[in-house]
Amino acid sequence: MTNQLPSHYLYPAAMFYSVEPYLVNTILGSCVAVCFHDSTLKIGGINHYMLPFWNGEGLASPKYGNIAIEKLYEQMLKMGSRKHNIVAKVFGGGEVIDTTTNLFNIGKRNIEVAESMLQDLGVKVVAADIGGKFGRKLQFNTQTGTVLMKIIQRTVSQQ
Amino acid sequence: MNRYQLTEEELLEELRNRMLQCKNNLRQLQELNEELKKANIKLSESEALKSHFLSNVTNEIVNPFASILGLSKAIMEIKDFNKTRSMAQLIYNEAFNLDFQLKNIFAAAKVEAGQTNVEINNVDISGVINSVIDTYKHKAEQKNLTVNFEYHVSEEVDNNFIFPTDAEMFKLIVSNILSNGIKFSNTSSNIEIKTGVIDEELFVSIRDYGEGISHESLERIFDRFEKGSDEINSVNEGYGLGLSITKSYLDILGGRIDLSSEEGKGTLIIISFPKLSCTVVEGMAFDGNEFLFDDFDNVVF
Repeated sequence: MTNQLPSHYLYPAAMFYSVEPYLVNTILGSCVAVCFHDSTLKIGGINHYMLPFWNGEGLASPKYGNIAIEKLYEQMLKMGSRKHNIVAKVFGGGEVIDTTTNLFNIGKRNIEVAESMLQDLGVKVVAADIGGKFGRKLQFNTQTGTVLMKIIQRTVSQQ
Repeated sequence: MNRYQLTEEELLEELRNRMLQCKNNLRQLQELNEELKKANIKLSESEALKSHFLSNVTNEIVNPFASILGLSKAIMEIKDFNKTRSMAQLIYNEAFNLDFQLKNIFAAAKVEAGQTNVEINNVDISGVINSVIDTYKHKAEQKNLTVNFEYHVSEEVDNNFIFPTDAEMFKLIVSNILSNGIKFSNTSSNIEIKTGVIDEELFVSIRDYGEGISHESLERIFDRFEKGSDEINSVNEGYGLGLSITKSYLDILGGRIDLSSEEGKGTLIIISFPKLSCTVVEGMAFDGNEFLFDDFDNVVF
């Protein structure tokens, strides 16, 4: 049963990857999560980024899409994945009302980064649920690569 | 007459619209270009600061170690034990700085690797703040500073000031802000720390009466390896990691930092972040109810 797997709650701006099977939970608003999975090794990783690009402000953390995707991809390779075995699933990037930032289209820009970077890396996107005007709740199984998703209707941003 | 035929006015109107659109697009493009230029400059600056940091690390780590080694060796050989006290004080100082800097460096490395572990527990906020103040007591005494701490607890809560958050992260945030406050305070002045909960959000404010931060520096103060204005670099130890870690931690906790400062008058920093649900002690589940996927409306990918 998958329910017996240990679970991990993924916070915004963090990443999670493991050779051991895990259930990773996270909540997305305008943030985007890219899940990488290798069905040969049965391993996977997931990130949760808030903004598209690091512009030199603050720490170069996976809060930013370009860094989060690159770092997670590197970790997949470090865990032993072959490039052609890695597939991706992309979620999030909803336009939720967000009073903390006055930047528009964050969700859309977050999605664009994922699409262009995954294309550049040559990683196939096998599933995606992006955009819209709602949040999403995800549960990613690092072993099987399965993602359970639930739509959350609310106006409060969960970043 | 062809009904798709435009009259001259309509044609002109259409042209005007298109010209306007073109102009708008051009303006947007220019704005994006400007942003790109700024980002480019920032990135090259960041690279320069990084290499500066690497050369600094040697000094800031090797020097304290040299002092610690030298002083403790001197203590071992000492005959007059009255001197040991002041030497122990010096060793403590050096080790303290080193410990704090290393904590910051490791925290920053973890944040950049996306490996910050968040463990939400009920934290005794006033207890943590008091212990941080206590840890920095010797630093405050060196400058003859008085640190005042007060907290406001609403009626519903017991006398214990408990708030669910990550204790380690909260401690490092408060340490960095207080350490900055002490560093930039004028001698024999006050530092005021206040905390309280408003609308389920925890607020902590720290005010110092020191040199303050110039308007230009305010923009860059959260960047890594930035240390305020250049003139104060000589007396200002540390790597400029503190505030960028604080900012990153608050991002993770869903919080904010507001900084207002007036040159020559001091700085007021207010941090705030919302309540987060408790992680189960074994680290097995995060707020189980939130993650029941047994219902019907799941989508499987």
